[in-house]
Amino acid sequence: MKLGFVVQRYGLDIAGGAEYHCRLVAEHLTRHAEVEVLTTCASDYVTWENHYPEGEEVLNGVRVRRFEVERPRDVYRFAEWSRRVEGPHTEDDERRWLEEEGPLSPRLVAEVALRRSAYDFLVFFSYRYYTTYHGLRAAPERAVLVPTAENDGIHRLSIFPPLFRLPRAIVWNSPEERDMIRADAHNDAVLGDVIGVGSKLPERLDPEGFRRNRGVTGPFLLYVGRIDRNKGCDELFPFFQRYRAETGSALRLVLVGKAVLDVPDDPAIVHLGFLPDQEKWDALAAAEALVIPSRYESLSMVTLEAWWAKRPVLANARCEVLLGQCRRSNGGLYYAHYDEFREALSLVEGDASLRRRLGENGRAYFDAHYAWDIVERKYLELFARLRAEDAARARAS
Amino acid sequence: MSFEIKAEGVDVQKIMTSIRKRIEEKRQGLYTEEEIREIAERRLDAVLDAYDFNPDFVKDFRALPSRWNFAFHEDTVYESSRGVVGRILRALRRVLNPVQKLFWNPNPMISALSRQSDLNAYYVHLLTNLAIEVTKLNLELQDLKNRHLALQAKVELDARRERTLEEMVVYREEPGKKGSDGA
Repeated sequence: MKLGFVVQRYGLDIAGGAEYHCRLVAEHLTRHAEVEVLTTCASDYVTWENHYPEGEEVLNGVRVRRFEVERPRDVYRFAEWSRRVEGPHTEDDERRWLEEEGPLSPRLVAEVALRRSAYDFLVFFSYRYYTTYHGLRAAPERAVLVPTAENDGIHRLSIFPPLFRLPRAIVWNSPEERDMIRADAHNDAVLGDVIGVGSKLPERLDPEGFRRNRGVTGPFLLYVGRIDRNKGCDELFPFFQRYRAETGSALRLVLVGKAVLDVPDDPAIVHLGFLPDQEKWDALAAAEALVIPSRYESLSMVTLEAWWAKRPVLANARCEVLLGQCRRSNGGLYYAHYDEFREALSLVEGDASLRRRLGENGRAYFDAHYAWDIVERKYLELFARLRAEDAARARAS
Repeated sequence: MSFEIKAEGVDVQKIMTSIRKRIEEKRQGLYTEEEIREIAERRLDAVLDAYDFNPDFVKDFRALPSRWNFAFHEDTVYESSRGVVGRILRALRRVLNPVQKLFWNPNPMISALSRQSDLNAYYVHLLTNLAIEVTKLNLELQDLKNRHLALQAKVELDARRERTLEEMVVYREEPGKKGSDGA
C-alpha cells in the first residue's frame, strides 16, 4: 500500500499541532505502508515563505517531496479578506480568502492531480488551507481527510461543507469535532472514524529532577502551550490569582511555552519558557494537575500526555472537545467560569486520592484510545474498508 | 466502539453536578445562618490571629460573658466574697445602709453601672450581627463580581471571535523549538 500525506508544512523542527500530528502518523505508518509526504517549502505558518529547498529528502524514514509556495502570505491583505468574509460576502470572496490564507502552491496541487493514481490513498491534513482544499478536490476518489477542525466558525464558510462531503473517509480527532462538522456539512454518509493521534512517549519520568533543575518547590498547577490570549491565558491568570487570594492556597502556577502575552509579575506564577520534551514530561509528572484554559482545541495532545503521566486535568468547559474528553475519560474536571474554577481546583488541590484516581482514569483512557498500536490499527482498518469498497465496486462493474 | 472510562468511585459528571449545585446555592444566597456565622467567625479569627490574639478569644467572649462583663444589680455594692465573714459583712452593710445614705446616694451609680453592663452585652450582640450582615453583603458582592465576570467573558468572547482570523497571523512560533507547545 502506498500512502501520500498532504500537509501545508512538514519538518522535524515544526511544532504546530496539525503538522506535528501529520508527521507522527506518517512516521508510524511507515511500518505498514510506503509513505510519502507532499508538502510546501514553507516553514513559517504566518508568511509561508519558502524556507526548505524544493525537491526530495528523507526525514525519519519518510520520503518528503516539497513544492515552492508561489507567493508568501500578505498578512494585512489576509486580515482584510478575513474581515470581509465575516460579513455579507459571496463564495468567490471565500475562495479569494482561501488563496490569501495559503500556502499558495498550485504546483503541489498539480502534482496531486497528476500523480494521484500512484497512491492508494492521499491523506489530507487541516481542511482550512489552500493545499487541502484544492488538493482534495483534485483527487477526491483517493482522499482521506483529517480536518483538525476547531470550533472557530471557519468550517461554516460556504466553500467548506461541500469539501467535507467529498473525501472517501474522514479521520476525526474527537466525537465533538465530528458532530460539529456533520451538523453543518450533513456529511454523515462519508465513512469516518474517531482516531486522533498518539504521543512520543518518554522512557522514564523524573519529577524530582525537574524540581531540582528548575528550582520549583511545593505543589503547582501546570500550563503547557503558547501563552496567548487565544489559548485562554488572559482568563487563567486572574482566575488563579483570585483563587489564591480567596482560599489562601499555596499552589503555584508553572507556565511552559513561549509567551506572547504578558505574564503577571507574581511570585506564585512561574514562567519557564520552552522546555525540551523530556523536561516537559518531567514537569507533567511533578505537577498536581494540568490546566487547559483554551476554548479552541481540536484534540489537545498535551491533555493526553498529562493523562499518560497519570495527572488530572482542569479544562475549559467552553471547549466542547475538552469537555467531552474529560467526561469520557473521567480524568479531569472542568470549568466554565470562575466559581467552577475555584471549586474544581479546590477539590483537586485538596484531595490527593481524587487526583490519583482521576490520573489513573486518564491513563486508562489514553491506553484504550491513543496508544500507537491502536491508532495505527484504526488507520489500517479504515484503509482496509476503503479497499474493500473499491474491490466490491470493481466486481460490480 | 466504547469511549467511556468508568472507574469505581470517580464520576466526573457527578462531581461537576455537585460543584454546580453548590455554586447555585451560593448564588441564591442559600447559606444557612450557621454557615454564615462560621464564615463570619473565620474572618474575625483571621484578623485576630494577625495581631497575635488568643485564637479562642472570640469563642470565650461569646460563651462566657461573666469573664469580660460585670453583673450589676442594686445589692452588688453590699456583697462580699469572704465566705462566712462576708455574709456577716453584708448584713452589717445593710444595717448601716440608712447611715451611709446620709453621706452619699449610691443609687445613681448602681443604676449607671447596671445599665452599662446591659449595654456591654447589647454591643457584643450588635457587633456579632453586624459581622454576620457584613459577611452576607460580602458574599452578595462576590456573587455580583462573578456575574460581572461571566458577562465580561461573554463580551470578550464576541470580541475574540472577531479577532480570531486576524490574530492567527500575528503570532509566529519560533522555529527549531518544539516539545513544549502543547499541540
